[in-house]
Amino acid sequence: MERLLAIWVGELSREKPDGSTLRDSLALLDALCVFCPFAEIVRLGLYVLPVRGPSRFFGGEEKVVAMASDTVHDVTGYEARVGIADGLFCAELAAREQRVLAPGATASFRRAQSLEVLGRKDLTTTCRRLGLYTLGSFADVAPARVGERFNKHALELHRVARGEVGELAGQRDLRLAQRLRNLRGEHEQGSEQLGFFGQRGAGDDRAFAAAHRVRRRLGADALLVASLQGGRVPEDRATLVPWGSPLVESRDRAPWPGQIRAPSPATTLLHPVVVQLRDANDAPVLFDARGVLSAEPTTLLLTHYARRTILWHAGPWPLVERWWSRGRRRAHLQVVLALGEAVLLVAESGRWWLVGIYD
Amino acid sequence: MASLRPVTLAKSRMLPLGEPWKALVPGGGLRRGATVVVEASPGFGGLSLALSLLTASSANGHWAGVVGVDDPGVVAMAELGMDLRRVLFVPRPRGAWAESVADLLDGVDLVVVRPPSRASHGVARKIMDRVRERGTVLIVLSEPHASWPLPPDLCFAITEARWATSSRLDARYLNVRVSGRGEAGRASEHVVILPNRKGRAAAT
Repeated sequence: MERLLAIWVGELSREKPDGSTLRDSLALLDALCVFCPFAEIVRLGLYVLPVRGPSRFFGGEEKVVAMASDTVHDVTGYEARVGIADGLFCAELAAREQRVLAPGATASFRRAQSLEVLGRKDLTTTCRRLGLYTLGSFADVAPARVGERFNKHALELHRVARGEVGELAGQRDLRLAQRLRNLRGEHEQGSEQLGFFGQRGAGDDRAFAAAHRVRRRLGADALLVASLQGGRVPEDRATLVPWGSPLVESRDRAPWPGQIRAPSPATTLLHPVVVQLRDANDAPVLFDARGVLSAEPTTLLLTHYARRTILWHAGPWPLVERWWSRGRRRAHLQVVLALGEAVLLVAESGRWWLVGIYD
Repeated sequence: MASLRPVTLAKSRMLPLGEPWKALVPGGGLRRGATVVVEASPGFGGLSLALSLLTASSANGHWAGVVGVDDPGVVAMAELGMDLRRVLFVPRPRGAWAESVADLLDGVDLVVVRPPSRASHGVARKIMDRVRERGTVLIVLSEPHASWPLPPDLCFAITEARWATSSRLDARYLNVRVSGRGEAGRASEHVVILPNRKGRAAAT
């Protein structure tokens, strides 16, 4: 789960009748985007940004926390509560307690929370009677037992309590992004989530309803939508985001020299798998600093037991990007295996990874 | 009990197919309510074939769902010509794949599913009834040893895959056997290019 910095501004969470709340929210969002372009507003009063990049850039998470609360104070004059944790659900709780959790401390923090944070009174009461007071004790109940006793909403909450799902179903205000965009005066076509291109028809409404049903059944991050952005290799160009999260409309038409050209693999692994390349003498084939292979690869080792003969390969195509960080040196290799399958490999940090299958 | 439903034109009962499938399938399109099975060993182009069946409909504004495909190659889908704004993905349905398919069938026009486990007879029957009732098209991706338990309306089986290469992967030639019920009863074997140098499907 992504490490998130959450900012809670209580005064902005209730909408005032004069409409100033939305204006302040928008101004604050713009100010936060100045030091982290991925800052987003989850619902009124709650902002979140991925903290890894900014903390590296500004020299530490404490600095980002200080900058965030200063920004809130400068823009709105209110005091902000800031916290850092993994996943949106815990990040919000950490923000309310003004705590910066160390990496890896999120699980114990979540388990120590009282059940009320799930926001379901009926569940809390029933669990109390069962002797369950904290999220941790609720999480320890087997999912099947929860399913027997409660309805499927409780199962969803149970997944959150176990840390399998990073956010509560109702945590995001799905309409807020659009409202802010309207306030800003942007009515451009196609910028709304899922691209309703102004001509939202009956088909779109039906798809919307079906999407809601799937989300209710499987949780907030089970249903994804895709978008393309600029990049050189398939694994950088594709993004799958949970349905309903604000979509960054990219109009990237810039040329990307060295882009891997079509055809692209029909399966692009989200989490690449380590593989090994061996030459005819069964010695590992390496991709060296001059951008060539140390030997002709003849065998691909998927695991110790799964060895596949290589019929043909093309590449390596080195990617020259972020040359200042040594671990970033990457090169791609297309490989055709003995039975006729083709795969896309990448050399990175001294190892070979399987990133795509031409399925 | 019979139910009344509005009269629909023959044309609107068909979802369009792109090249090269238009010429290979009876009627030149996918009949609404049909179940299509794409049979291929993993890595032999089954996923590409299933997605290529969606492209023409997707480009025409129909919604599609993709269930159980863990790591969809979004770039490849765009290259095939799909409109990604109208595609919903459920990559990991966690044991509820049949329910997810049923949910999506109510809202989208085509659903591609790769069942994570072998579908039982009863589940397959239920899903196919739902497909027929809702007038959608279901495309099932299956492996030869874990095939769909019921006879589909249309079946594409990949029997062979060969890559043509130059300084990079150029094109893949697939031997596809098309069979089915009714008009498609007689099986025929064709060679198609999928993907070609542009990542699209093409006739040879």
